[in-house]
Amino acid sequence: MKKLLLTVASLMIICLAVGLYVYQDTSEKTKLTKDILEDYVANQEKLPDELQPNFVSDDIAYALQNEELNITYDSGENWIQVPIQQERLFAGEYNGNKQTLIPDSYVLTENRATFLVVDDLGEGATKISLISSFDQGETWDESVVSEGYPLVRFRKVDFLTDKFGYVITSGGRTMSQELSSVFLTMDNGLNWTEASDLDITTMLSDGGFIDDKTGFMSYGTITPTRPTLYTTQDAGNTWVEARIDVPEEYEEIFLIAEIPTKADNELALLVNQGSDGDYLGGKVKGEFISTDNGLTWTFKGEVQPDEEVR
Amino acid sequence: MKKYAKLIGILFLLLALGLFGLQMGVLLIQSTIHIEYIDYRLFYIVNILIVISLALSFYLLLSFTKMQKIILTSLLTIFVVVNVGLMISNQSEIKNVTSKSPDNKHIVSIKHNLSTNEAIYYRDYYWIFGRSMERLKNVADEEIQFEWLANDVAAVTYQTTNEQIQQFVATFGYRSTTSYYYVGAEIHGTWIGEGTEVISGPEGITITHKQKTELFDWDHIEQFGTLAIVLRENNEAKWTISLNENFEMHADSSKSTSGDITLYQATTGENEPVLLKKQETH
Repeated sequence: MKKLLLTVASLMIICLAVGLYVYQDTSEKTKLTKDILEDYVANQEKLPDELQPNFVSDDIAYALQNEELNITYDSGENWIQVPIQQERLFAGEYNGNKQTLIPDSYVLTENRATFLVVDDLGEGATKISLISSFDQGETWDESVVSEGYPLVRFRKVDFLTDKFGYVITSGGRTMSQELSSVFLTMDNGLNWTEASDLDITTMLSDGGFIDDKTGFMSYGTITPTRPTLYTTQDAGNTWVEARIDVPEEYEEIFLIAEIPTKADNELALLVNQGSDGDYLGGKVKGEFISTDNGLTWTFKGEVQPDEEVR
Repeated sequence: MKKYAKLIGILFLLLALGLFGLQMGVLLIQSTIHIEYIDYRLFYIVNILIVISLALSFYLLLSFTKMQKIILTSLLTIFVVVNVGLMISNQSEIKNVTSKSPDNKHIVSIKHNLSTNEAIYYRDYYWIFGRSMERLKNVADEEIQFEWLANDVAAVTYQTTNEQIQQFVATFGYRSTTSYYYVGAEIHGTWIGEGTEVISGPEGITITHKQKTELFDWDHIEQFGTLAIVLRENNEAKWTISLNENFEMHADSSKSTSGDITLYQATTGENEPVLLKKQETH
C-alpha cells in the first residue's frame, strides 16, 4: 500500500514538474492565444477585404483594392500582385473611380499582362511607361513609351499581334485644347516610336488601329458639330481626315466617331451622339461603311444600342 | 479518531488526484480547445494544492521514520517555494488583472504582457477557465480600470503607450431573444441624466455633459457585443454607453424601447457612471 502510494505520488510529482516546465515557457503560453487571435484577426481582416475580381474574360480578372493591383488567371483562386503603386495607374488628369482601371489603359490576356502607368515628373511633365508580364505575372518588365510628355489625360494601349502595338495619349490640356499623340511598337513593346504629329488641338475622343498600318483618331468631346476622324494608312507617317458623309437629316445628331472595326471586305464605323445627344433617347448611333480602308464613309443606317456588333 | 484520520486522508488523496487530473487536462487540451486558466496564477496554486493534499494524505494514511519525514517535508517545501517563485516572477512579465461582476456571475481577465505592451482580454468559462477574446495593443504599464456598468457589461479603461485613453467593453451574451441589433439605433431619442443629455439621431450621438456638447458621428462609434457602444474622437475613447438590465426592446420597431441606459466617461481619473432615462415625446 505504502509502496503503491509513494510510486503514484512520485509519478504525479514528476508530471507536475514537467508540466511546470512546459507552462513556464511563456512564449509557448502566449503563442497558443496569439495563434488563435492572429487567425481570427486575419480572417476578420480578410473578409471585408477579400479581393473582388473585375473580370476581363472567363477566368482572367484584376482587383484594385488596398491600394494594390492584383491579377488572377483562375477566377480569383490565386492572386498575383502587380508591382505597380496605385497612383501610377491614375496619375495625370483623371477624376474617375479608383476601384476599376481606366478603360483601355491595360491589356490582360492569357499571354500578356500590360498596364500603362504614368509618373509625374513635376512642372507639368509626365513619363508614360508600360509594365508588362508575359509569363502570367512571374516576371515584370518596364518599358518607357515617352518621357517628358505633358500632363496625360486620355490614355489607351493595345496590342494587335505579338509584335505590333500602339499607345495613344492626349495631354497638356488648356481649356478644350490639347495635344494628342500616337506611339507605335514593332517589337512587342520593347521600343516605341512616336508617329508624326496630327496638328490637331481639339480634344481627343478615342483612337485605335485595326492593323499595323491603318489607324484612326477621333476628335471632339465637348460640343462638336460634326464627327472628326483622322486616319493613317501608313503606320502613322501621314494623317488625313476621313470624309464622313452624314445625311442632312442626321447632321448635328451623329457627332462623335468611334473607332472603326473590320467587317468582311469593308470597315464599319459607329458615330454616336456625344454626351448631350437626345435623338431617340440619345443612345442610337449612326452606322457608316467604308470600302476604301477608312478614307471615305457612307451612311448605312441607325443602330439601336443593343444591336451593336463589336 | 484513527478512523476519521484515515477517511480524511483518503479524501485528501482523492482531492490531490482530482486536481492532478484537472492540471494535466488543462496542459494537454488547452491548445486544442483554446481554453486556459482565467488567471495564469491558478496553475501554480493548483500545483501547490496538489502537493499539500498529497502530503496531508500521506501524513494521515502512512507512517514514516523521522528521516523519511524530513526528506518529504523538504521536497514539499522546495516544490512550493519553486511554484511561488515562478508565480511572482511571471507576474512581472505578464500582469494578470481580473474583475468579478457585481452578481459574481462573470469574470473579466486581462493578461498584460509588459514587455510587448500587448494585453489579451479573456472572458470566463466555467469560472476558472478563460477564452481569449480580444487583443489590446500598446497598453501602457498603468493600472487597468474596470467598471461594471451592469451585471453583464464591464467597461475597461486603459492608457496606451502614446498616452491616449482607450476603453473597450466586455459584454456577456445576448439579453434579448432577437438577433443582432445596433445599440445606437435602439437608443434613438433623447436621454436625460444628472447634468447630462444624450441624443441619438440620424447624424450620430450628441452628448451634453457639464454644459459641453459634442457630436460623435456613426463612423466614430464602435459597438461591443450587443450591449454597449464606445464613442471615439481622434482615435481616443471618450464615452461608453451601455444598456441597463431593465432596457427592453421590441422586435416590432414601431413600439418604443423601455428601460434605462448608462453613460460612462473614458478617463483614468475618478469617474462615476451616469444613469440616463428616456425623455418621452408627447
